[in-house]
Amino acid sequence: MNQLGTVGLIAALAFAAYAVVAGAIGGKLRSSRLTTSAERAALSFFVMLTLAVAALEYLILTNNFHNAYVAEHSNRDLQTFYKVAALWAGQEGSLLFWTWLLSIYSALAILLNRHKNRQLMPYVVAVLMGTGVFFSSLVLFIANPFQELSLTTAAGTQAFTPPDGNGLNPVLQYHSMVIHPPMLYLGYVGMVVPFAFAMGALITRQLGDNWIRTTRRWTMVPWALLGLGILLGGNWAYAVLGWGGYWAWDPVENASLLPWLSGTAFLHSVMIQEKRGMLKVWNVVLVITTFFLSIFGTFLTRSGIVSSVHAFAQSSIGPFFSVFLCIILFFSVTLLFLRLDHLKSENKLDSLVSRESGFLFNNWILLALVFAVLWGTLFPLISKAVQGVTVTVSAPFFNKTAIPIGLLLLFLTGAGPLLAWRKTSFQSLKRNFIVPLIVAGVFGVFLLVEGVRHFYALMTLCLSVFVAVCVLGEFWKGARTRMKTGGENFAQAIYNLTMRNTRRYGGYVVHLGIVLLFIGFAGLAFKAKAKALMQEGDLLRVNNYLLRCDGLTNGDTPNYAYSRALITVTKDGRAFASMHPEKRFYKASQETTSYVSIHPTLSEDLYVVLSGLDEDTGKAVIEVFVNPLVVWVWIGGVVVFLGTLLALFPSRVEREMAEIRRTQDIAVSASDAG
Amino acid sequence: MTALSLGRGCPEPAFSSAGPGRVRGYLHGIKHVACASTVAVLVIGLSVASLTRADAPRRPTLESIGDQVMCLCGCVATINHCPHRDCATVAEMRPVIAQEIAAGKDETTILQDLAIRYGVQVLAAPPAHGFSLTAWILPSIGLLAGLSFVVAVARRWRKPRPALASVPDKALDPKLLAAVEEEIKASRMTTRD
Repeated sequence: MNQLGTVGLIAALAFAAYAVVAGAIGGKLRSSRLTTSAERAALSFFVMLTLAVAALEYLILTNNFHNAYVAEHSNRDLQTFYKVAALWAGQEGSLLFWTWLLSIYSALAILLNRHKNRQLMPYVVAVLMGTGVFFSSLVLFIANPFQELSLTTAAGTQAFTPPDGNGLNPVLQYHSMVIHPPMLYLGYVGMVVPFAFAMGALITRQLGDNWIRTTRRWTMVPWALLGLGILLGGNWAYAVLGWGGYWAWDPVENASLLPWLSGTAFLHSVMIQEKRGMLKVWNVVLVITTFFLSIFGTFLTRSGIVSSVHAFAQSSIGPFFSVFLCIILFFSVTLLFLRLDHLKSENKLDSLVSRESGFLFNNWILLALVFAVLWGTLFPLISKAVQGVTVTVSAPFFNKTAIPIGLLLLFLTGAGPLLAWRKTSFQSLKRNFIVPLIVAGVFGVFLLVEGVRHFYALMTLCLSVFVAVCVLGEFWKGARTRMKTGGENFAQAIYNLTMRNTRRYGGYVVHLGIVLLFIGFAGLAFKAKAKALMQEGDLLRVNNYLLRCDGLTNGDTPNYAYSRALITVTKDGRAFASMHPEKRFYKASQETTSYVSIHPTLSEDLYVVLSGLDEDTGKAVIEVFVNPLVVWVWIGGVVVFLGTLLALFPSRVEREMAEIRRTQDIAVSASDAG
Repeated sequence: MTALSLGRGCPEPAFSSAGPGRVRGYLHGIKHVACASTVAVLVIGLSVASLTRADAPRRPTLESIGDQVMCLCGCVATINHCPHRDCATVAEMRPVIAQEIAAGKDETTILQDLAIRYGVQVLAAPPAHGFSLTAWILPSIGLLAGLSFVVAVARRWRKPRPALASVPDKALDPKLLAAVEEEIKASRMTTRD
């Protein structure tokens, strides 16, 4: 099976290399045969990588510890669920997985463009497979997951199969960790498709609307998946790491946020190009930036150039990534400069107060945030290079720099949709903003009266109300018009309104999701914490919760041994919950980890951690956090994802147009045949 | 026509003499005042809250300092968040911090003392002096530079206004000019009525 996997990798690399050459020459010579050949090679690349992935999964699931990767990242007693996930638990497997996802995206891009974008496709295939060549070379030559274990003795080298493996890293043995990396990778890898289309459009000088329309959907999918991946990562950190939070501004977390932010900027500015034929250069720059940051994120995660709690798979692949990043930058920027003449704006701004300007400001803030986060993430390296001292840049820095920018962004989330295309009159501004401002103002005063004094939390909550009123107002205005003119009831009006323009109202749903996320973030300002040594009968009070320790039990499973604290919680004197935090000792890896007990409600989470046992007294070390509004972060993330799906769904108008086009095509074909 | 003009925020409600027009004018004024007051209350309230927060003496606690000090065991977390059970580094650092707090030192002094004792990498954020100051300044500079760029680009892309203002008066037909002025005067009279 190891040989089969290696053969799959070699064949995949060969197909990818051929596809690059055939695609580039096919595009240059406008040869449809070569283009088709390149596309078939790219599909074969997918087949060969699927073979390699299947081989590795088979080795993992059958406990073949002769394979070095399986011995390092799995063990006999690991649940099947987690064995499947062992594919992306280490460097070699995760790079193979990355490459496989790239092949899936490439195959989909080819199959969905069989009859579209034909001039672009040879170059799109060449760029996709160029990336494929890089990653499959890495997997084959630098981080091959099909290495076999051997033992060198005086008698010579002989095959070696250990009786059991080292097991999966204990902190990765959590349900959201099984889907978090695939989502994150789908996000990172997917950004290659818009990049390939942008490069194809630049090479062929086909810089009209087609490539941008195609690219928008291909950006939305990975953008949504990357967002979901980030959210699941936060959920994992919250439930497993046991420090009571979900976002620590760790370099690896930041690396995932950067392409998401620049992708967000692109998804907004692309609308200006579609509607007004403006920002053409800027959109290409954003596509390049997003792809660059995606590869940069992978590089940061894998190379270990910055210290991170999330760096589970580090090795010496950094230099290869550096070279690849330089190639991407050189190739794309050169091409962009060569095509500047073809990227001239078709229109001018009618007014500084318009939807177009709103998008410009939105892009400014998003890019400023990208810069601030990137700068903070890399500053330890820069400091080391300049002054020879490694400084730490952690949460206190990012909270001070990123939160104010984030609040500006939140404001624009509500204000942007209220601005009209071309020009917004003062009267219109007044009419649209007066109600949201009054409601937010009244809410702010209410919070002040209630004793809320945390500035950022206050601002966040007021702005969240402002944005929610703005966005819901848009739904209300549209529905009211339909109710008046079409005689529909409210539910029908909302449904028809949304389905008529899924892109617009899906976007509004995304904005509402962002509001919920920010509400969740604001809750962090009010968190409470307590820590105590507890044994049976001991009490611990946090806010209005009273925790009683009912004892400590020990248990054993094939995979791990555990200590479990039995905690009964009352709230305001009434029975509230029974919580069982655990400390687990994983036998294969000989590592301990916490299994946090969380009782979530819409207003706050009660979060209990068994940190350990006090060596002197034998008492349980119990840490308790009261985390307000955290559940809104998860709900907000899901709403953002659903809103994106809605925006991706073809609207009624789009479907009607497609139907008309199809009918016309049939009529033309019939007349041609006649 | 009059009602429409007033309802949309005609700049001359005070000239309105008709009953319903005057009521609309008052309502319009009340709306303006309500809006302005709300915004003022919001801004003042939030500023006061902000100042209250800024002026409040920050009494350091083990918790607040622990969030700003990195654990040096290699866990890449602050000492409040170190995932290691019975971490020796945390066990050593916490009493040091507790002593500093007990000595009545403020947050800045405690962090400075810790940086001297353990090295600058113990601080969770770079110090705001020397080269590390650039870490703090550059994001703001980036933000402002970006804003200037956006404003400059927006101005450059802005459509030129209709060139009527630049046309010299004598280029216009005096008869046409007189007719236009007459019409404007007539329409004003109608509006006031």
